[in-house]
Amino acid sequence: MTSKAKEQALGYLFIAPYLISFVAFVVIPVIVSGWLAFVRLDLTNAAQSEFIGFQNFQDAFNDELFWKAAAATLHYVILMVPSTIILGTALALGMYRLQKGQDLVRAMIYLPAMLNVAATGILWQWFFNNEFGLFNYLIRKFGGQPIPWLTDGSFAMPSIVIMSLWWTIGGTSVILLAALQQIPRMYFEAAALDGATARQVFTRVMIPLLKPVLLFVFVTTTIASFQMFAQALILTGGGPEFKTRGIVQYMFETAFNGYRFGYGAAISWLLFAAIAIFSILQARTFRGGYDG
Amino acid sequence: MNRKPPGSFNIHALLFGILALTLITGTARWLTLSGSTVTGKTRLAFWNGFTGPDGIVMLQIIDDFNRQNPDTEVVMQRIPWATYYNKLTVAGADGRGPEIFVVHADAIPRIRRAGFIANVTDLYSPTGVDVNDFDPYVIEQMKFGEDFVGVPLDVHPQGLYCNAEMLIAAGYTNPDGTARPPTNKSEFLDLITKTTIEPNPNLPEKQWGFAFTYWGANFRSLVPQFGGRYLDEQGNPVINSPENLEALEFLSEIAKQKLAPPADNGLGWFGYRTKRVAMVWDGIFMLGDLMRLDDMKYVGAPIPQIGPKPGTLANSHVLCLNKNLTPTERKAADKFIKFLSDNSIQWAAAGQVPARKSIRQTPEFQALPVQSAFAKQIPYVLYPPRTPTIFEFMLEVDLAVERVVRGQSEPKAALDTANKNCQAIIDRDRKDNPEGATSQ
Repeated sequence: MTSKAKEQALGYLFIAPYLISFVAFVVIPVIVSGWLAFVRLDLTNAAQSEFIGFQNFQDAFNDELFWKAAAATLHYVILMVPSTIILGTALALGMYRLQKGQDLVRAMIYLPAMLNVAATGILWQWFFNNEFGLFNYLIRKFGGQPIPWLTDGSFAMPSIVIMSLWWTIGGTSVILLAALQQIPRMYFEAAALDGATARQVFTRVMIPLLKPVLLFVFVTTTIASFQMFAQALILTGGGPEFKTRGIVQYMFETAFNGYRFGYGAAISWLLFAAIAIFSILQARTFRGGYDG
Repeated sequence: MNRKPPGSFNIHALLFGILALTLITGTARWLTLSGSTVTGKTRLAFWNGFTGPDGIVMLQIIDDFNRQNPDTEVVMQRIPWATYYNKLTVAGADGRGPEIFVVHADAIPRIRRAGFIANVTDLYSPTGVDVNDFDPYVIEQMKFGEDFVGVPLDVHPQGLYCNAEMLIAAGYTNPDGTARPPTNKSEFLDLITKTTIEPNPNLPEKQWGFAFTYWGANFRSLVPQFGGRYLDEQGNPVINSPENLEALEFLSEIAKQKLAPPADNGLGWFGYRTKRVAMVWDGIFMLGDLMRLDDMKYVGAPIPQIGPKPGTLANSHVLCLNKNLTPTERKAADKFIKFLSDNSIQWAAAGQVPARKSIRQTPEFQALPVQSAFAKQIPYVLYPPRTPTIFEFMLEVDLAVERVVRGQSEPKAALDTANKNCQAIIDRDRKDNPEGATSQ
């Protein structure tokens, strides 16, 4: 074996553990779930599984609980995505302006993103607790009426979004800050020479130059929001009255609690299709604006 | 030509080392978890969801068994109940399940349909476990046709937890001055009124007489009191029966008359354990939480009789065997199940009620005040329905109760909707699984 071939073999050997796990835990499950989506498979009666074509997808469209879960997911996406973009950009701009202590502030903002979702969820469950929680304690202190953060249908989803923002905003703002720092200073200097106001600099210089990164944040946040699962599971369990039970939780419960693996797989592919459509639409919209 | 300097890093040796280590640890793990007799001992994997203090007690019982039976080694695997069943079912259906496992009585129908649960009828023999030592209704839950599929370790009924100090302050005392829990509807409602106290200079927060805990379970605790049930003889849902409606209407009245904190308040068990609520209904499994509180004086009792007869919700941890055991493994597993059942007085100390009547009659058990009080309800408990669709089915029932407690639906309408949806679930299950769909 030549030394080049040896080098090549050694390279494959190094990536083999990852490659094996990638094939075992990503490629094969994706293929299997694609097959499952067209099969009726009840785990309690696996021997009687049969190919049923598009029946699982048809069932989903006629399933009231599926649409309830889709509505909950959409509710989360609508609240979460714009909040992330606006708050992330604001935090990035704030940090960009800082003359001193930028590193410290960046580290502090990013810190929650390093926490595990379970730990974050349990922590916020206590913050939101109606009787003993920090937020209602403060509200009572200032003479207000306590808010049923997680137990009322109109508050539960916004509460989950608040927790998710606290948990994820650090990553978004750091990405946007890095993008801001990449913008050559000459653009700002030229704008200043032309007498541009701060607002004009923001809307005509910063935002257009940030568009590729904003698109990235927009797409990744949208995908992550469609996949919302653990936050609701820990904070509300999907309640009250299924109002925070998203598609992923419904899929999980259908497959792993209800044992209807075929139907669960079909739901997961419908979610994939929804994410793909939204991502393509977002990419087209943004790219069009940028190029144009 | 490159020459390797002496003492340089040898990547090949490292990679081979990792490979060897993986093989060794993998093999060791396999030997530990499987019913192997390679080491001369019969090793049995025992899966359950006892992840709390009950798991520590179970470990002690297993240690005792392993010490007394040197030819057998039981290895316990604890998995949180939330993910336990899907892991058990996936492993079992694929032939990789544990030799021994615990399931709740209401989960048996679907585990049984998954096809890996053993017939343990022969365990109920003069040399094994005495079938007559169980309450008839409880042992009936283990039976499918003529076959028994498990041995109940315990019965965990819902019961009434009272704050002893609040009851005494309200005048509900026994002749010896101890707290006397309410036993019927009028006493229960009277006590709610007497122990509900608005904030005052000595009481910064309102004290509630009663609070809902897990709404679905609160409802199901009343269902047998009115003679209600979930499925008829044909296995069709009867959620909206007049009896169930009466049970839900009582809870609805409690909520409407503001005799319990509003649904959004979320006081429930937390309110009880922090002395802001005088009474709650909850399972015997919550006793472990109270036992940790030093300054809480509590008393346990049967759920007050609200309907025409006593009754409450219950379930059981059932000891089951994998049907794919070798004769040696089966013999060892039978021995272990008998040991657990015979020694379930130790299990009672973990805050459980043993299923064996003879054990409940022992002075040791009678000395456990809450467990023995809750155990009095066993003759008239009602288990959840026997259906492989239990998860989806109970979601619908619980949703109906939630809507009523929240004041978003009248009981009749909520139960009608739940019944319609449960019928659809049962119908789908019958279509998908023509053999052995549902039974009551």
